[in-house]
Amino acid sequence: MQVALKIWRYDSSSGERALREYEIDAPEEATLLDCLDIVKDRHDGSLAYRKSCRMMICGSCGMRMDGAAVLACKTRMYDIAQEGRVPVVSAMGNLPIVKDLVVDMDPFWEKFKAIKPYLQPGYDQPEDGREYHIDQPRMNVIHKEALCINCGCCVSECNSMESDPDFLGPQALAKGMRFVGDPRDAATVERLEELSGEHGIWECTRCFFCNERCPKGVDPRDAIAKLGAEAIAHGIDRDMGAKHAKWFIRSTETTGWLRETELVPKTQGVVSSVKQMKFAINLARHSKAGLEFPPHVAKDVKEARDLRKLVRTQDRPGALGHVQGERALAQLAHGYTEGERDPYGPGSVPMPYLPGEGSAGGQGSLTQADVTPGAEPTKKPEGGA
Amino acid sequence: MSTMEGTKRVAYFKGCLASMSAKELDTSTQALAPRVGLELVELESVTCCGAGDIHEAEPDYYLHLNARILAYAEAAGCDTLLTVCNVCTLNLRQANFMLQGDKELRERVNKNLRSVGVPAYGGEVDVRHLLWEIAEGPGYERLKEAAHKGLKGLKVAPFYGCQILRPSKIMGFEDPDRPWSLERIIEACGGEAIDYPAKIKCCGFPIIQAREETALGELIQPVEQAMEAGADVMVTPCPLCHLSLDAWQQKLEAATGRKFDMPVLHLAQLVGVAAGLEDSELKFKRHIVDPRPALEKLQV
Repeated sequence: MQVALKIWRYDSSSGERALREYEIDAPEEATLLDCLDIVKDRHDGSLAYRKSCRMMICGSCGMRMDGAAVLACKTRMYDIAQEGRVPVVSAMGNLPIVKDLVVDMDPFWEKFKAIKPYLQPGYDQPEDGREYHIDQPRMNVIHKEALCINCGCCVSECNSMESDPDFLGPQALAKGMRFVGDPRDAATVERLEELSGEHGIWECTRCFFCNERCPKGVDPRDAIAKLGAEAIAHGIDRDMGAKHAKWFIRSTETTGWLRETELVPKTQGVVSSVKQMKFAINLARHSKAGLEFPPHVAKDVKEARDLRKLVRTQDRPGALGHVQGERALAQLAHGYTEGERDPYGPGSVPMPYLPGEGSAGGQGSLTQADVTPGAEPTKKPEGGA
Repeated sequence: MSTMEGTKRVAYFKGCLASMSAKELDTSTQALAPRVGLELVELESVTCCGAGDIHEAEPDYYLHLNARILAYAEAAGCDTLLTVCNVCTLNLRQANFMLQGDKELRERVNKNLRSVGVPAYGGEVDVRHLLWEIAEGPGYERLKEAAHKGLKGLKVAPFYGCQILRPSKIMGFEDPDRPWSLERIIEACGGEAIDYPAKIKCCGFPIIQAREETALGELIQPVEQAMEAGADVMVTPCPLCHLSLDAWQQKLEAATGRKFDMPVLHLAQLVGVAAGLEDSELKFKRHIVDPRPALEKLQV
């Protein structure tokens, strides 16, 4: 089959960048990685990209196609070629580009190392000297997290990390959960303390890009939610994110609805919230976050209170509460059923984003690296908030 | 379920924001509903869905809280639970799939529900956002008729937010990378849909209190890009995105020293303007950035 590709070429030493188009002849079963091999072998030997296993195990060939992070070796090109689309291939986001499709993974590995991705010894060794058996329910807690191949596709699209490059991010946090949930690990509390730090669990903005992009079904956002549940179950709840969550619980038990007026002081503390006073007054002028009188109380709210009391006696604390839903959710496949519109068809609104084409650029921020490789990623507003 | 020709009877879950800070979302939704063929059944006993917060902190309680909402919707004789918030939509759909897909789990939850006086949930409710009801099918046909006043000449930047698109396995309505529903509605109302990359990204709201600086770094992207693309207004299907985009613009001003004055409309308001809803239903005076000057060009 004939496959056309546009590839963002970039050289960090010279700063040169260009979007090059290639037309190649490839077998019908070809993946994106096969196509890149053909480009490199027969058309342009200077193209740089990473690869190794070619079978979705090594995690080397993470890159973006049409703005979305994929494993090149998992991405079949047949349908795309049949539709006559010319996908744009670029390097992953949120990591500096070295050359073409190769990113510098050092910041990724630094975060990976920071969560101590190895067992902290201290568990009871079986007396008979045989191997340590973990029962299935305990294994289920970290089954998905253990599937991670460190490819970086989740990190590529992480919205929090784009704003704060120091955020630990979905891969490191999911790996953190893999050890927090391992019954052999003796550092559960210390890990939860560390992962609850400034750039940890509670900095996740729940954009769900990581779940969407992960090629292995790790669902990093779900792993972060497990960590949040474990932290709170262990009483590690000093972070504002944890306090914020606890106020929702309190609200549903008392009025049934979020008591939003009290949310800021309950999250940030009284002293910090006084600093927000000018902002709050402006909101109140527009009838936002003001005091309700009489308060908005749900009918039969006692039922919610009773339910919480009841489930807390039922032995599904922390991450186990998340795990119980995984069997059902695993039956759902990623994807969507397109409605009446073909997003690629004539008259589609809008035209699909193709990185680097037109003035608007690719999926993601205008200044994201895949749009103009080598450009500075989006920065926080100057001066902070 | 239909009561009269072309009208769909749905349980209406307005959620926290539309009950409080975003009352304008509730009034405009209530006023718009009959014009797009929806009969809203209000549920008295329901509570907050827990946002992402209870889901994260106490997942077992989250599941029961949402099962209770679904059970009351079912008990009201409705097969659709209508939401007007992305976060409510994700929470309720996720809990619903957990309960529908695992009989053992549903039986356990139902036993708990019954023991505190809540009807058991049979798994027969579909959770759908207003956006999906009016972006295709009979709702879309009614929308085209209802939007008689139109939005001619108005440049509208659609902002989807995250949890109406992702995870796609739970939302499943449209391509999460190339959504079309808001654009289709804007065009059906006679407006011009403005395109910009950050329309599918995060507004920062979930961490706007715990990590404000990081959140502002996310928020600035859609607001800035919509302004640069020449939008008159933005529109969003989520009241949390709305609050972030509308109210926190003043913090972007403080942080950058630049002027931000992009009006942001709720979906029901935008369609409501095209359908000729009253000011008392649209309640624009509740917005921090007043959309009325931008909408004035529609009057001529």
